[in-house]
This record gives sequence, C-alpha cells and structure tokens, in this order.
Amino acid sequence: MAPTRDKFTIHSKAVVCQDVELRGDITIGSGTIVHPKATIYAIVGPIVIGSNCIIEESVIIVNRRKEVMRIGDDNLFEIGCRVDSPTVGSFNTVSTRARIHHTVRISSYCIIGAGCLLAPAEDEVLDDYTVVYGPAAERRSWSGRGRVQEADLRRKHVDYLREMLPKFNRVRRGDGT
Amino acid sequence: MIPSVLYHCPCLSTSPVPPPPHLPSSSYCFHPLYTLFFCEECDAIRCNRCVSVEVSTYYCPNCLFEVPSASVRAEKNRCARNCFMCPICRNTLTVVASDPPDADAGRLSVPVSTVGEPPFYLYCNHCRWDSAEVGITFEKPTGLAAQLQKHEDSAPDSLEFDRLKEHFEPFIRSSLAASSAHPASTVHPSSAAHSHHLYSSSITAAASAALARDIPGVSKYTPLSRSTSGRGGRDRSVNKDEMPEYRSRMDITTASTIGTGGGEADVEFMKHIETINEVASLEQRWGSSWVTSLQTRDLKPLRIPLHSKRSKRCPVCTHILIKPEQKAQSVRYKIKLVAANYLPAITVALPHMYPTTETVKRALAKSSAAANDRLNAALHPGETYAFHLALTNPLYDPIQVRLATPRVHATNTSTANQEKSRRPPFGVSLPTSPFTVAAFAEAWEYDEDEDMYWTDEEDLGGGGGGGAKSVRDRDARTKSRTKAVGVLEKRANTTIVGGEIIIGKEARGRLMFIMLVQYTYRSDDPVPSESNEGEGNEVKGNTGKGPETKTFEFYTVVDLGEIEG
Repeated sequence: MAPTRDKFTIHSKAVVCQDVELRGDITIGSGTIVHPKATIYAIVGPIVIGSNCIIEESVIIVNRRKEVMRIGDDNLFEIGCRVDSPTVGSFNTVSTRARIHHTVRISSYCIIGAGCLLAPAEDEVLDDYTVVYGPAAERRSWSGRGRVQEADLRRKHVDYLREMLPKFNRVRRGDGT
Repeated sequence: MIPSVLYHCPCLSTSPVPPPPHLPSSSYCFHPLYTLFFCEECDAIRCNRCVSVEVSTYYCPNCLFEVPSASVRAEKNRCARNCFMCPICRNTLTVVASDPPDADAGRLSVPVSTVGEPPFYLYCNHCRWDSAEVGITFEKPTGLAAQLQKHEDSAPDSLEFDRLKEHFEPFIRSSLAASSAHPASTVHPSSAAHSHHLYSSSITAAASAALARDIPGVSKYTPLSRSTSGRGGRDRSVNKDEMPEYRSRMDITTASTIGTGGGEADVEFMKHIETINEVASLEQRWGSSWVTSLQTRDLKPLRIPLHSKRSKRCPVCTHILIKPEQKAQSVRYKIKLVAANYLPAITVALPHMYPTTETVKRALAKSSAAANDRLNAALHPGETYAFHLALTNPLYDPIQVRLATPRVHATNTSTANQEKSRRPPFGVSLPTSPFTVAAFAEAWEYDEDEDMYWTDEEDLGGGGGGGAKSVRDRDARTKSRTKAVGVLEKRANTTIVGGEIIIGKEARGRLMFIMLVQYTYRSDDPVPSESNEGEGNEVKGNTGKGPETKTFEFYTVVDLGEIEG
C-alpha cells in the first residue's frame, strides 16, 4: 500500500477553507462548502465529493479502502461527525458527533441522529429514507414527506455559507488554479 | 463510590436519634442536604417525606401556559393547546406544511423558495415520524387540539370514561358532603389541625374521601388510624345502598376488535410479528391515557402532560417552606427556606483517593509497595485512613461547631448486645474540641483575597498547575502525618477538619457512621422559641451574658464507601 500522492481537485465554485486538513487524492464538487478544521483523509483510495455538500467544523471523512469513496450531492455533515462509509448518496444528514464505520454504505435521504454510532460487523447498506435516532441508534423509515422543503432549505443554507464564509476565512484553491 | 454525607430528618418521630445507618431500612430518613427544608418557626429540619404538598400551578412544559385548575380535570391533565409529543420518541412535535406536488416524480428538482401548502401535519424533528402516517392531517395550522378533539372524544375509551364519570357523579357529591361533615383525620394526627386548608378544593376533598373509604371485600389496612373502623363500616353501608349497578357501553369481550387492545386481535398480531419494531414498546404505550394499540404504526400523537409547581408546608406549624412564583416561566421562589441556607454544608473526602501528580511520580520512581498502596482508592480492613470533612457556613455570622460520633446502639438496650456484635468493627476519631467556621460573605467581598485566587487556580489547573498543588499536597501530607485529627485548614467560610478511621480486621460492607453536628450561632431574636417541644433538636444556649447564642444540633451519616476484603 503505497501512500497516495496529495492531489486536490477543487471546483471553482466550491468553498474550501484554508485551515482544512486534506490528505491524498480528493475531488470536491461545485458549490460544496468545507468549513475550517474539517479533516478529509484519502489514505488509500481517492475521495470524490459531489456538489452542494456542507462539511462542518471538525468533521472527519476517511477513506480506508482502495476503491473510490463517493459522496453524492446535497449532503450535510454536521459538527464533529465521522464518516468512513465507502459510499454516501444524496440529501443525507449526518448529525453532530455521529459516527459511521466503513462497513456502512448510505443511500439517499438518510438521517443519522446526533451521537449515533453505526458500527455493524458486516457490510450493510442503509436504504433510502432510513432514520437512525436516539442513544441506542434505533432505526425507522421516514415517509419522505417534507423533503422538498428540506432540500430547499439546504440550498439556502449552502448559498448563505458560500457568501459568508469567504468573508471571514481564507479560501483554498485546487491544484489546477 | 464517592464518599458522601447525608443529613438526618427526624420526620416527626419521637426519638431524635437516627436509626443505625448500615441497616437498609434506615435509608428513608437520610437525605442529601439540597433536598431538605428548614422550618424557622419550629427550628427543625424538614424533608420531602414529612412536608405537606400543595399544587400551586399547573402548566404545560412546552408552551408554558398556566392551566387554571378548573380546566386541568376537563383537559385530562394534558395540554389542550398545540403541544404534542411524538409517540415514537417523546420529542415535541411541530406543525409543518405539506410539500408542493412534485413536478416530475423521478429526479428531485429543487425549486427555489418553496411554499408549503395544506394539509398540515405534525412532524418529529428527531425520528422523522409524522402524523400523516397515521392519517392525521389538519386543514389549518392553528387550534390543532380542537381539531383533534373530535377524534379523541369519539374514541370508545373516552366515551366509556365519560359514562363512568357520569355514573359516579352523585356518589362523589354525596361523599363530599359526608367528608365535610366529618373531617377526615386519618392522615396524621398533626395534619388534622390544618385539614381545613388541605381540603379546600373539591378535588382534594373527593380524593381524600376516596382514599379514606374502605373498599368492600378488601380487608381494612389502616396503619395510621386504628380508631376509624366504625366510620369505615358506615361508609361501606352507604356504598352498598347508593350505588346502582354500572353497565358498560359495550361488552369487553368484543372491545378488542375495535382497536382498544387485548383479546384475540392482539394474539393474532403477535403471532405474525416479523420485526420487533412492529410492536410498540412499553415506554411508547404507557404515556398514553387510554389503552393503545400494540402496533407501532397505530400510535397516535400524544398531548403533552402538564407539570405542576408545588409549594410545601411544615407539617407541624403549617408555615410555608417553599413556594414558587406563580408564573410558569419564572424559576424563582417567593419563599424558600431550604436547609442549605441554615445548616453548614459538609463534604467528606478521603485524601488517599486522589493521587496527585507528585504521588504518581513518586510511585513510578520508587515503585515501592507503600506508594502503590497510597494510590489504591479502595478501603481495606485492618488499615487506618485519614478523612477530611469540609464544613461550609451559609450564615452571615461565624459558627462554633462541635462534632461527635454518638453510640446509637447504646440507647436501645434490648438489642444493644446483639447489634454491637454485628456492627462493622471500626473506630472513628474526630476532633472533640469545638472549632469555628467563618461567616459567609458575598463572593465579591473576598475577591481580593489571594487565598481565593490560589484555590481557584488549583481547581482549574488540574495536572498543569502541579507545582503549587504538589507543594501544598506535601504540606498537607506532612501535616496529616503529624496531626491527622484536628482543624487542618480555614479558608473563607470553609473549615476543613481531619478525622481518622481505623478499620478492624473483620470489617466488611459499607463504612458508614453517624456523626452528630452541634453548632452555636448568634441568634437574632432574643426570645428563645417555645416551639421546640417534641422536636428536641434545639438546646437553648447561654442566655446570661453577651449576645444571645443558640445551639442547633443535627445528625448526619458519613458514608466513606465500601470496605474491600
């Protein structure tokens, strides 16, 4: 396992703060916001993050596998969460201090509640609209009602951050520019 | 296990001496200081077990609406406004609008500033449950309870309950008249004095009459009132004569088919469970007023149960001990006579339980057996341990404190020998001479005191501020070696005294002992109160010369933790 060379591809419309720990081959899509103090490690395989995601402070995203770790669009990773899962769909929310092991693959519209730990021994795929909540990480299925309004709110959140973050933080550019 | 000090409340018992603390049955009379009250009139400690409690306000914990007591019963103790609880996870539900219809169902398009539209539904932010799942939607986002009311009122349980209420109405009215004629004196002799107050409202009157009544077919068990059997008999005859037979709305054997739970329908459901999540957990079901379905998918939103603010009275003199402000938003009290403002706060610490950086280093360097022993937090038989008692004075005057460890078992002569042999063999030595604890001053008064700064730093420093700490610790250590028993430190309104405990070879179990704390303070009123008969707690001080002083004494239980064999 040769350590991969650092290679950051950041879309010109993405906002990645200077004070972000990046390692390995990372691609960040258009409109994605990475707050300061976030950590993204592509230890072995590369990480590809889609568009309009929000990665908040002290979030840790790690790819431990050889294959590409793909994170879809419009995902929200809240403060202090840790995500190792090899694929993440779109419109997911990982709440504060939640932890997801590399055995879990996340589909779309999932919500991982605050402080929930997902660490199954065997590989698992969370279906669309799975909600994990509570101290015991109970699961249920969301009906999906209200998702249009939520997606709209997420967009506004991204728009606001895209405007405000560069005013108070130095922004990092990709290798290309 | 952290060492603790609990305070004794005599709870109107005739003997002021507490029961032996190592008996499990004694736990009822020892309380942490912060739960206790202090009656100024009686000069006595009161606990939550002996005070009489009145509800001063009912309010909804969510919307903080103060519910008038008249409507509490009508609304069945739940908020009748827009407050609902998630049936799945107990979170508060919010009202949200539905999404606009999807233009294309396949790929989700994100329109800019969508406006929600009716129907509205209740939505849980935590587990994403929504009321549309159980078919509850609203035309408008206001007055939800009223919209749901029809739903609730037509439920078979609710109808049955109303019918029962109707049925018992004449009986409650007649027993209310009876109870006002014969004021019930069954609660406690001392509470009879203010019974007129307790039974001021019709609800409590009805409830107390119901409690005092004998239930036909159940043998009388009235430990507090042995002389009321005649009255009970009379009540029973009233019971028999006046009650017409109650006929339920529907047969209970057929009730299970309409979703009230129980019976064949549930058995059938339980036979076909595939995942455990289909069954509503006990927590999810017992919050509901009515019998609810066993199935998770049938659970309905719950109206939030009301909370109450309560005021408490002294059982002897009926003076108010604590009375919250009427407003639900306020967290202040109009009257607050808590024991923490009258009695010195005592905390106990075992210095050997707190290894400092210094001792750790020493242990690593020498790795001697003695150093390792010092680090071990457990108590071992056959050893001697020093302990520190920190007394903090809440009064604005300095107090003189005298500590003693009375031999409780000497008093009950019949079982004294037997008890003594069973008592965990340990010896406690405490400073016998009285010592002073300085007066409490407002925090800003000793802000300048550098001693305070030092302690602050020490508290915050942890491992970092090791220098000063270890020096002080070594100081304390040498001091404790030379003088383990006695006053160790005086700082602001806290005095730390050291004691020593010698644990016998055969000692097992909890290391607890009773400590009598006697303190003398300058009294404000020159007339000594006369209300101390029966309480026996207050001893009048030297009245002859100088400023008037009073002595108050109370018992505590010092719990040093488990002895490890």
